[in-house]
Amino acid sequence: MNSIVISSVVTALLVLSGCSDKEPVVEEKQEIAESTVERVAPVETETVPSDEASVMSEDRRYSSASSSMSSIEDGMETIYFDFDKFHIRADMQNRVTNDASIANGAASKYSLKLEGNCDEWGSDEYNFALGLRRSNTVKKSLLAEGVEANRITMVSYGESNPMCTLKTEDCWAKNRRVDFKLLP
Amino acid sequence: MKILISFLIAVTISFASDATIEVIKKVDSLPSLAVEDASVSFSNKFKMKFFRSLVADMNVISLFNVDRSHRTVDYDASEVVYENKDIDYVLRYKLRKDDSGALNIELKILNKNNIVFNKNYKVNNPKIYMFVSHTIAYDINKYMGEPSVEWMKRKVIFSRVVAPKKSELVIADYTLTYQHVVVKGGFNIFPKWANKAQDSFYYTSLDEKKPTLKYVNIRTAKSKVIKSSDGMMICSDVSDNGKKLLLTMAPKGQPDIYLYDVNTRKTKRLTKYGGIDVSGQFVGKEKIVFVSDRLGHPNIFSKEINSHGGVEQMVHYGKSNAACSAFGEYIVYKARESSNAFSRNTFNLHLISTETDFIRRLTAVGVNEFPRFSVDGDAIIFIKNYKAQSSIGIIRLNHNKNYLFPLKYGKVQSMDW
Repeated sequence: MNSIVISSVVTALLVLSGCSDKEPVVEEKQEIAESTVERVAPVETETVPSDEASVMSEDRRYSSASSSMSSIEDGMETIYFDFDKFHIRADMQNRVTNDASIANGAASKYSLKLEGNCDEWGSDEYNFALGLRRSNTVKKSLLAEGVEANRITMVSYGESNPMCTLKTEDCWAKNRRVDFKLLP
Repeated sequence: MKILISFLIAVTISFASDATIEVIKKVDSLPSLAVEDASVSFSNKFKMKFFRSLVADMNVISLFNVDRSHRTVDYDASEVVYENKDIDYVLRYKLRKDDSGALNIELKILNKNNIVFNKNYKVNNPKIYMFVSHTIAYDINKYMGEPSVEWMKRKVIFSRVVAPKKSELVIADYTLTYQHVVVKGGFNIFPKWANKAQDSFYYTSLDEKKPTLKYVNIRTAKSKVIKSSDGMMICSDVSDNGKKLLLTMAPKGQPDIYLYDVNTRKTKRLTKYGGIDVSGQFVGKEKIVFVSDRLGHPNIFSKEINSHGGVEQMVHYGKSNAACSAFGEYIVYKARESSNAFSRNTFNLHLISTETDFIRRLTAVGVNEFPRFSVDGDAIIFIKNYKAQSSIGIIRLNHNKNYLFPLKYGKVQSMDW
């Protein structure tokens, strides 16, 4: 008797705990159709709205990059990050120093936009926040190198701005980065 | 022994309405339904499109074993076609184009050759026939006495990334059959309906100097700037009455959740933690749930809007839960199930009840994210990326069924319905 009780309880626990090989008891509703024409209400007509949303075209990318500006921008080096990390790697430190000297030199009359990017794991807000955290790390490093805070803006593109779309670790590593853009 | 069996039955019944418990209905226990086409206008191609849409919708309401055979009949024939004589319910409809080009639909349901339901539908633009099909499914579900499937009639708005830093905002029906690009060009993401009527929406534009929240009225096609913030600017949620927004902003590089009053245009900072606080969602009028890394990894927390008190951890499973949606006592969240720099990762959706300890995994493979409860809590919509295919998925909680609607090109970044 005891073993029957124990096995019954175990079975019930399996059923209730969402185990995959179960057949939970479900109340099956019996459908009993109304079967007389007289009970049917008068036919009503529903008009489904057909307004198609107006097309709005908008392409106002903020950019006024002159050729001199873009050539300075080309000299600024992208900072790459490790998987799930936000600190500046030792091998990226020289790049940050180089970028800061350009920011304080040739690019000193422009504003800097730091664009944080992530690899492809997730398009939600949290992933965008991770990209921003990388931008913020680079911003702090630039401030430490003497770049003025009011010249720096930040943005995160999450996973939506990949440099590389192959499914390889090398490729994902190229996407975990902060790019520099100059603004007038 | 009898007492034990009675106890088990009582426990089973008491948990029957808990959405965290999987419900598996036996397919052969559902009544059968066949669809008969009595159309007198439109091309064969259009007729078949409508037929397929209706059959698909009948499947999604999960109340019938739907016969997929296309059979034609005279609308006024007193009997169902011979092949359908043993079918429980026969749905018969007639498509007719009137002089103005509008699509008119007469529809009835026969049970043992008796009419048990009938209704007419009209839409001026036949191109949006799928919304009529969804409306029919909604009505039949209602006729059968089932909980509302209001979500079937609603529009989905999503952002589709078509190239690096290029996206478009698209309005679609829930099956993505109808697609209309509302904002084209530029880099625009995180669209969010501004009200229940779905006649306007918010979105984030990343084309400006700083991330900027914009508002578009669909009827007038007018756009206006709401607010900008350095770092991040996302409308995460809109209150039921459309008057309050939960924004994620990062004016000092620190992502936090802010409450925005649409009328007064004032913002109030709700979270002050020095790490990441994002994805605020209203739970009733007094509370929000949100994603925070305050314990060292992303997880789901809640907070009273008007209190200065602490936050409460809502999910106690998983080490990386980075997105959520709440409805009543239920929270659906995205959990990272592998954390590997060198291989593909899996993200699955899980459902928990805040009142019990049950947890139910809703998806099995791929990257599943961006869960959103429907307005009635009957279903969850989500984004699935698997094997280079981006889809929108629908989970019908009480029917234990998932449906996937693949996107023909591009990748879904975020969406709302």
